[in-house]
Amino acid sequence: MSARRTEALIAAIAADARPVKPLAPPLRRSLATLGLLALAGGLAILLFADIKGLLARYSGREEMMMPEMAAMLATGLLAVTGAFFLAIPGRSRRWLWAPLPPLIAWIGLSGMGCWRDLAREGAAGWALGESADCLVFILAASVAIGAPLVWRLSRARPIEPLRVALLAGLGTAALAAFLLQFFHPFTVTFLDLGVHFAAVSIVIGAMALANRRLLAR
Amino acid sequence: MAFRLQGPAEAELTRTGDRRNEMSGELLAAAQRGDSAAYSAFLHAILPFVRSLARRRSWSEDMAEEVVQDALLTIHRVRHTYEPGRPVEPWLAAIVARRAIDAMRRRGRQSAREVHDAAAYETFADPQANRNEAGEAAETLARMMAALTPRQKEALDLVKLKEMSLAEASAASGQSIASLKVNVHRAIRKLRLGQGGEAGE
Repeated sequence: MSARRTEALIAAIAADARPVKPLAPPLRRSLATLGLLALAGGLAILLFADIKGLLARYSGREEMMMPEMAAMLATGLLAVTGAFFLAIPGRSRRWLWAPLPPLIAWIGLSGMGCWRDLAREGAAGWALGESADCLVFILAASVAIGAPLVWRLSRARPIEPLRVALLAGLGTAALAAFLLQFFHPFTVTFLDLGVHFAAVSIVIGAMALANRRLLAR
Repeated sequence: MAFRLQGPAEAELTRTGDRRNEMSGELLAAAQRGDSAAYSAFLHAILPFVRSLARRRSWSEDMAEEVVQDALLTIHRVRHTYEPGRPVEPWLAAIVARRAIDAMRRRGRQSAREVHDAAAYETFADPQANRNEAGEAAETLARMMAALTPRQKEALDLVKLKEMSLAEASAASGQSIASLKVNVHRAIRKLRLGQGGEAGE
């Protein structure tokens, strides 16, 4: 590993100076990707969502449900945007922690919602709803959201793929959970909530495990 | 950690850093467009900066140079992530830091798996590598053999090296069995003493 070999390496690299297109700023790339996902998600909601079910479930509990959904959405948006920033060398690593406050709010608000139901409905609050469907929904939606996101992120060939994958996984799962609210015709119980978070963890874990294969090609 | 600069010297230092950033940024932007000469100038211009960062994060000069080379390859691979107009140094520093961490992990794994064996330097699996030692041993042996009388040499050769029985050796050499026994015994003693003398040197 001599300095002479470094000189030879520089000569070889410089000789391979094919033109490359610089990536757009990460915020612009993030907004473009999120815009695309919003378009697809909006279309799915318009065509297939159970809006009546959603409103019935919300009636009388808007003050709780709206912040919960906002927290989910904020977690998703900040995590996805953070992933785009962390994929570029030298950008602020604080983005890793950006989705943390809304994530905590999301977990807290969902827990409180379930607790209220438990107090109101007693043992029924513990029942396992149609959680298996939720698990499948979150995983399927995560694949639909995660695939274009990973493709866009991999263009940066991140030098720290694990951090990028963690944020991308969290963002994907949070957006999938947000989307689930529009297709969820029943009240969430503690066990349902556990299943939701298990699904989110599976998505984050899968992304983190496959980080290099997915992103650093 | 952010710090406030004070005095003209620090201000000049910042200006120099800014100019270096600007110049390197322009060269890298030209390299992104496929300008090979600008790319070479950029890589040479950043080398001292990259090397100093690598040295700060390495245990040895060898490791620092390995980090420098890894960083150069990474720079080439991700040169499209540099946004023209932005400072180059944070971009470079992040790449070098990452490659230094990778090198440290790699070395950590190696030292966990490998054992340092000082004796390993003295003999090698490849017989060619041991030629020096073998040559010395042959010279010593030749010197010791020269100290034997012709009859002792003959007795040793027939009885010990060619593994003949005493009767066969006696027939072949014309020496009596008793004489063969005595000559072999004396030859071996002389060789042993000679070896001891060598070892004591």
